[in-house]
Amino acid sequence: MTTAIAISGLVKTYGKQNAVDNLTANIAKGRITGFLGPNGAGKSTALRCLVGLAAPTSGSATIFDKRYRDLDNPLSKVGTVLDSRGFHPALTGKQNLRVVAAAAGIPDSRVDEVLEMVELKDAAGKRMKNYSLGMKQRLALAGAILGDPEILILDEPANGLDPAGIAWLRKFLRKLAEGGRTILVSSHQLAEMQNTVDDVIIINKGKLIASGSMKEVIGDGSLEDAFLALTGGEL
Amino acid sequence: MGALLKSEWRKLIYARAHWGLLIGAILVAGLGTAVTPVILDNPDSGFGLGLDQTQAVDAVYANAISGYFFAIIIGIMLMSGEFRHGTAVATFLTAPKRGTVLATKLAIAAIGGMLVMVIATAAGLAAGWIALSFFPDAASPTNEVFINTLLAAVVSGAILGIVGVALGTLIRNQMLAITGALIYLFVIDPILLALAPDAGKYLPVGLITAMLALDIDAPEFGIDTSAYLPPLTATVVLLGYGAVFAGLAIATSLRRDIE
Repeated sequence: MTTAIAISGLVKTYGKQNAVDNLTANIAKGRITGFLGPNGAGKSTALRCLVGLAAPTSGSATIFDKRYRDLDNPLSKVGTVLDSRGFHPALTGKQNLRVVAAAAGIPDSRVDEVLEMVELKDAAGKRMKNYSLGMKQRLALAGAILGDPEILILDEPANGLDPAGIAWLRKFLRKLAEGGRTILVSSHQLAEMQNTVDDVIIINKGKLIASGSMKEVIGDGSLEDAFLALTGGEL
Repeated sequence: MGALLKSEWRKLIYARAHWGLLIGAILVAGLGTAVTPVILDNPDSGFGLGLDQTQAVDAVYANAISGYFFAIIIGIMLMSGEFRHGTAVATFLTAPKRGTVLATKLAIAAIGGMLVMVIATAAGLAAGWIALSFFPDAASPTNEVFINTLLAAVVSGAILGIVGVALGTLIRNQMLAITGALIYLFVIDPILLALAPDAGKYLPVGLITAMLALDIDAPEFGIDTSAYLPPLTATVVLLGYGAVFAGLAIATSLRRDIE
């Protein structure tokens, strides 16, 4: 098993509180890993440390043995969706992506391709402030796949999506996974995750409480049962 | 670096607000030069200068630089907009070496500030020429005033753009940064210049005025340009401000987490 993402003894402290507390986990290449935990468990903070937006207090988080900031042209290796913000509301969807594409040296023709892939071609010229939440999530996903990366890191990509949006997202992620990509996805949609992910990492109060293949973590039960038992019923 | 420059340039030209700032700067510069001859021509203005004097006509044209504060707003918006709209996340995910991103943003803010100032100042000079054509007794301006005003526009526009980026890095709240900058430029700086001219001449507004190399002595308005620094010294000191603020911006952005 090749490790794509390695988190080792990661600690992130805000004031006196450990948002992430000595977290160690490995994410295998070519697999979909669910990153689960109650609200405030430290998932987003850990992911922000992984992609260099937040500096770890101690420990390390690497992608193919390198810190994110040391990757050459990171967008071609890692696609990230952290929240539906990240794009300028007064710019059109296409303009927003063209700004990102220019910074990564990606041709503008790729922008049109990814907009078509996330089914936003017709809304490409619309200002982002007029997008629905679902459209913003799709635009964020389009940004993540702009560099055709091998790894995708998705923080709550289903947040705020309606059932049709969730169904679309499931289909989209499966299609991406079929290409052999490594996907690390955090979500509260446990039933959805049970059907989608290969491996699971569960954290609570910043600490790792379970990790392994789906079968190892949930046994014969459901992911929701295992999650509630492991986290003391906090969802 | 070339890719990042292209990206930052796109941020500058795609946002309609930046075009609004350019229009604002043109209007302020144009109005400034168009109205000044009317004020100077009024004998009750108490300005002590008449349009039949070269100094007065030079002062009219020098007003073309009065939209300088728009350059600092562009710099602030380029940087603090990243935090306001959360685009800093995409920016630093695409280019995680923050020093390089900041250096690029400072360069684009300098270019943006410079372009706004040059276009607005040129429009102001044209408006001044049109306005003065209605005053047949007006003296001829010196040739230097045009060169000095455009040079001051280039240098102050670039440096104020840089200072704006630095302010936007230090004060991530966009409205607070813009309001603070305007209060400083229009209230605090002139007060300091009036109360302590020896120190005030080293402050941004005094330096920009010094770069115009005007020769005006109007004590009733608190203006005595002979007290300002020589134009070249003022340019160097203003460049020093740019360097210090650029350093501050880079040092600050390297340390803080991106939300």
